Amino acid sequence: MACGIKIENLSFSYTAGNQVLKNVSLDIGPGEKLGIIGPSGAGKSTLLLHLNGILAGDGVVMIGDTKVEKRSLPDIRRQVGLVFQNPDDQLFNPTVEEDVAFGPLNFGYTRGEAATRVRQALGEMNLEGFENADSHHLSLGERKRVALATVLATSPGVIAFDEPFSSLDSVMVVQLLGIIGRLDATLVIVSQSLLPLASCCDRLAVLVGGEIRACGRKEEVLADEALMREGGVDMGFYREAFKKYLE
Amino acid sequence: MKHSFLDRYSDLDSPVHRIDPRARLIAAFSAIVIIVSEPHGRLLPFAFYGIIILFMTAMTRIPPGFILKRCLAVSPFIIIAAVSYPLSVPGAGVVENGYLLTEGVRSGLTIFLKAFFALVLLILLTSTGKFHRLLAGFRKLGMPRLLGVISALMYRYVFILHDELLRTSRARDSRTPGAIRTSRVRVYGNQAAMIFIRSLERSQVVYNSMLSRGFAGEFPDMDKLRVRAGDVLPAGFFILLLLTVRIISQPLTERLFN
Repeated sequence: MACGIKIENLSFSYTAGNQVLKNVSLDIGPGEKLGIIGPSGAGKSTLLLHLNGILAGDGVVMIGDTKVEKRSLPDIRRQVGLVFQNPDDQLFNPTVEEDVAFGPLNFGYTRGEAATRVRQALGEMNLEGFENADSHHLSLGERKRVALATVLATSPGVIAFDEPFSSLDSVMVVQLLGIIGRLDATLVIVSQSLLPLASCCDRLAVLVGGEIRACGRKEEVLADEALMREGGVDMGFYREAFKKYLE
Repeated sequence: MKHSFLDRYSDLDSPVHRIDPRARLIAAFSAIVIIVSEPHGRLLPFAFYGIIILFMTAMTRIPPGFILKRCLAVSPFIIIAAVSYPLSVPGAGVVENGYLLTEGVRSGLTIFLKAFFALVLLILLTSTGKFHRLLAGFRKLGMPRLLGVISALMYRYVFILHDELLRTSRARDSRTPGAIRTSRVRVYGNQAAMIFIRSLERSQVVYNSMLSRGFAGEFPDMDKLRVRAGDVLPAGFFILLLLTVRIISQPLTERLFN
């Protein structure tokens, strides 16, 4: 079941004196789809890693009613699924089935239940019959879908995507948008691909230099060209390109 | 990128491919023990072993050229061991009364044949099924869990390292006019270091990904292997056949050559 996320004054640094996140606060409602844009090195991926407790900074992160802290990690990791940018980082088992079953088995499901969840998750990704395929023999698009299936198999209430549209052709982007549109979970999507991000999210946040510069309805955020430029998006370029080649 | 350098023929359908990996493992390692336990200097039994292994190879439908190429990669070590034996062991000469097939040469040949057959058996073992099923078989046979996990991850990341190697090599070659001179061998060092650093970074991300799906030090598995009579019987027959050769070849050799 989808659950909300509340982040209050979250700060984090990998090395002393170099803050990657600075007093980040966000409130995301259950079932909401929030897109986060920002230039490279803005702290977007770092922020996602805080959602399921892989990184722990100063401040408060709540998933539903549960605070993200050491003792709540098993619950939090069951609740929050992370889809990494590079599917090769997510697929480390020899076969697709073992990769997708990895989460459910770790979370205490029996082998029979895990097998059912694998079937369902692969079915949702149109990957029926891929159970015994070697992960490293799949195409990038297939690997991306398997990576998402590994997360869906645990039915998380929150799914966080790190650059899901990168390296995909536009046909695959449309497929992925269709899948994202059907997900019954709170979604946090970090991406520099503005068009797909804007088309699948309800709200947009702009993260620059570890700080949230704006967060609101996507129409409002997209209308502020100076803000978008700060977030690494040149709206003028999109407008010109559209007029020149597509209109 | 697609890879098939490790288990290229694992998808073939043959009676050997269909056997449970545990039965194949036991058969292969028993066969190696039987062949290696053959005393030095007796060549006749190796003719029988050769025929049996050849028959087995034909059954797997794996091209013999592929097996021989794989063997070639290791054969220099075997050849050095086999050739140096008659020269290094006192009393084991190369020529004796004008004959080349002396005790020493025969012993060298048996060393070569033992290593060669063991190699062929291992290649057949790894090429007649998916590597992950073989690992599952090892685990079922009592392989330490941690060793199984490390092997599985190594197998998985060989392909990613290979990709990294290809990418960095292409980047290097695209900016290199012709072959790199010896004086610039530092480039290879830098490339190796870069691959090492990337591997380290990747291992950290992979670990994060494992943690995010509840990893707490134990690698779960789906436990799908089932042994049937159809697996045990052919493997048992294969072992029995080699054992028979091993037992009856000694009096046969003595009768023929003494």
